[in-house]
Amino acid sequence: MDKTTGVYICTGCGIGDALELDPLKELVSDEYGISICKDHPFLCGKEGVELIKGDVEGEGVNTIVIAACSGRVNYDVFDFGPDKIVERVNLREQVAWCQPPNEEDTQMLAEDYLRMGCAKANDTEPPVPFQAEEEYSKDILVVGGGIAGMTAALDTAKAGYRAVLVEKEAGLGGFLAKMKKRITMPYKELTDTGADALIQAVEEHPNIQVYTSSTVEKISGGPGLFSVEIKTENGSASERVGAVIQATGWVPYDASKLEHLGYGKFKNVLTNVEMEQMAAAGKIKRPSDGKDAKSVLFVQCAGSRDPEHLPYCSSVCCLVSLKQATYLKEQDPEAVSYILYKDMRTLGQAEDFYRKAQNDGNIFIRGSVMQVGESGDKLFVEAEDELLGEKVRLEELDLVVLATGLVPASKPEVTPMIKAPADAEDADEDGMIEVLPDSGFFANSALNLEYRQGPELPTLKYGFPDSHFICFPYETRRTGIYSAGCIRRPMETAKALDDAAGAAMKAIQCAEATAKGIAVHPRAGDMSFPEFNMQRCTQCKRCTEECPFGAINEDEKANPLPNPTRCRRCGVCMGACPERIISFKNYSVGMIGNMLKAIHVPEEDEEKPRIVAFVCENDAYPALDMAGIKRMNWSPYVRFIPVRCLGSINLVWVADSLSRGIDGLLFMGCRHGDDYQCHFIKGSELANTRLSKVSETLDRLALESERVKFVEVGITDYYKIPEIISEFMETIDEVGPNPYKGW
Amino acid sequence: MANYDPSFAREVFQNVDFGEEIKMCMQCGVCAASCPLSTEMDYPPRQVFTLIRAGKREEVLNCNSIMLCTSCYTCKVRCPRKIPVVDVMHGLAHYALKQGFVPRRQPAVFGREFWAQVYKLGRIDEKDLPRRYFFSEGLVAGIKGTLDFMDVGLRMLLHKRMKLLPERKIKGIQSLRKMLDKAERMGKGGAGA
Repeated sequence: MDKTTGVYICTGCGIGDALELDPLKELVSDEYGISICKDHPFLCGKEGVELIKGDVEGEGVNTIVIAACSGRVNYDVFDFGPDKIVERVNLREQVAWCQPPNEEDTQMLAEDYLRMGCAKANDTEPPVPFQAEEEYSKDILVVGGGIAGMTAALDTAKAGYRAVLVEKEAGLGGFLAKMKKRITMPYKELTDTGADALIQAVEEHPNIQVYTSSTVEKISGGPGLFSVEIKTENGSASERVGAVIQATGWVPYDASKLEHLGYGKFKNVLTNVEMEQMAAAGKIKRPSDGKDAKSVLFVQCAGSRDPEHLPYCSSVCCLVSLKQATYLKEQDPEAVSYILYKDMRTLGQAEDFYRKAQNDGNIFIRGSVMQVGESGDKLFVEAEDELLGEKVRLEELDLVVLATGLVPASKPEVTPMIKAPADAEDADEDGMIEVLPDSGFFANSALNLEYRQGPELPTLKYGFPDSHFICFPYETRRTGIYSAGCIRRPMETAKALDDAAGAAMKAIQCAEATAKGIAVHPRAGDMSFPEFNMQRCTQCKRCTEECPFGAINEDEKANPLPNPTRCRRCGVCMGACPERIISFKNYSVGMIGNMLKAIHVPEEDEEKPRIVAFVCENDAYPALDMAGIKRMNWSPYVRFIPVRCLGSINLVWVADSLSRGIDGLLFMGCRHGDDYQCHFIKGSELANTRLSKVSETLDRLALESERVKFVEVGITDYYKIPEIISEFMETIDEVGPNPYKGW
Repeated sequence: MANYDPSFAREVFQNVDFGEEIKMCMQCGVCAASCPLSTEMDYPPRQVFTLIRAGKREEVLNCNSIMLCTSCYTCKVRCPRKIPVVDVMHGLAHYALKQGFVPRRQPAVFGREFWAQVYKLGRIDEKDLPRRYFFSEGLVAGIKGTLDFMDVGLRMLLHKRMKLLPERKIKGIQSLRKMLDKAERMGKGGAGA
């Protein structure tokens, strides 16, 4: 594209009071040969925007550098259409508001930012959305026909999209159909499950294709272009869909491991699932002799919140026991239910049902089971009563019901093994090692994805497919595949309905956005996608292995086969590539390299060190803006460069910076590890790993490793910014200036 | 090892004023934390409710907790389950006395003496009431109690809050007694019943 660049400097919001304009304008014309450079006291006002629009029309300006406020604000005001390149230089939050006005260092900072902005605009091309050759599908595949799956399919169909529902059992309904009653809003009484009506609605809906007794044999392609092979009862079918919802639900925790609670030893010790099925079939009886149960004890947290069994709380078992105690009261008002609990957890409004169960006269005992035994034909339980502070014995019990927890259907009973890499420590004699939960090879078969990184969704440590359920519910580590219901986290039916609707909306959004060639999440609307210069590829496999979303497949020669519709545009592949052959139209290794070159590095005797900080756009950059808004101060020697994700940082930038005389490099990214906050899941972790290996580069340059530092900065950590920077400046002071200055 | 026996809980639900409200207790302990007298009590209110559920009849009806309640109402105001804890405690106190449980030297004794004096004089004799209360547990306890309160008594004399001579009956004591009699017939019996 032939570029006509215009630079516009805003002097409002204190920028004009802090900086001298003429040197800035001279720099633009002298160093970058840009003749159009104007200033305005209120650039985001109507007049200011008209000024730019006038140049766009009159002078043919198509590349606009706006030196004003942060790019995180007023992006709608400075939108001049998709064919215009707009580059924002942050002179407000990160210069005028955080530096003393009219000082030499402040002026130098502003000049460097303006240079970097011009350099970036120079290298940016307007992105062209990806369009596949095949036709896009907007149908939604739902795997699993329980309450979440059926509702997701129904909501999809009601929104006007075709849904394909695959259920492995002969009939729809899942656990919902096996229940007697359910507890749902407003949590005052038991309500009918509504399973029959829901099944009927799904089966009769013209826009839902139901496959029962079927499994998904294979899913290939990417969002918008998935082709699905379904193995049906007596044959096969294939479908093309735009997005997938996995709602394969849960299985009860294996009670045979709970022998210490009497399961398997005494006939009258049941699980809550068995109790539910017995109640649904008719009466609550003693399995040993078929007599009606008069006295029942519920053991809560049976195997839950126990490091030996399920370490987590399944959040529904308390309500289930309250429900089953209510069945017993309905069957026989004289019958007694004891509920032996660790903590009653009835979330939200469900507390009302707890009140009801208390009012019904059920007896709640807080404590833990010491022994379950049989005396005569009745059971007894000995327990430590925490509130009474002594050991108690409950006798004459007809039934003991173990409230077991929920295990995601994706969690394998036996962790699969793979061949261990040569340097692995935990490998067994045969050289095999357990697969980690966040690998695509861990989970039980449900989707059978044709992805290089494995056939199933990577999961979190307890086997639930990854989903940051506060920030990004339903999202998994595979673009266009969403999870809903108990596969995502343990939940009751009311929450499963919300989940189903949410995942359906996400799936539809994905199918629509993909058809337009734009990214869904978290860079919603981004039109760029990575392009590979295959001539220079060395088949090193780093991009195919490190992509957090499994977007890149591999051919048999290990050439990367990108799937642009699976891509979230984080740039982790770009950071990984040692040959630097991966780039975006508006984000590339060369572009950041040129921005680094644009930084003016003073001579050593001037005693003005230069630090470059690569800053994650998602969390750390807003934190910087926030610190600016709060008028915090920090060293004027730091130049911030926003990056899509720290994972997109190519190590060549480290070498580039240090060889130019930059004294130190700071990497500000998201928290990683078990409770990661990275928007691209592994980006910041990968960056940290790569940086730990950067000492090699530093050794080659004969430099100290302290010059490179990684810090975790959350969006709420803005108040730590001055401290982080001054600490790093002290380190750099100690290490001394970079010997490469002026080379 | 104690056996859980729901029969005492049933007894309380049926016979004690507000007894059935105990069902709603979720053992959060806000009542215990709010009670200004919980340090003096055998069991804080929360634990009284646990004991009822566990069927510990003797412990509950014999404990001083139900007698010590001063009706400050903090627990009732704060209870997240809206249990009228004060009323339950009074209900239990009445029930315990009715069942023949003899309170130890406790507000029940004080209440009984207070009531007797009001009935007799229509007012309280500031010398006579403490004397009867302190000596209710014997001579030694009586002397000790009296000595402990000597400076209070002297200051009351100094400020003319207490006379040296015995108090006389109020005017119209007969009418007051009629009112008290009627009140007693209407109610289920107070601490002096």
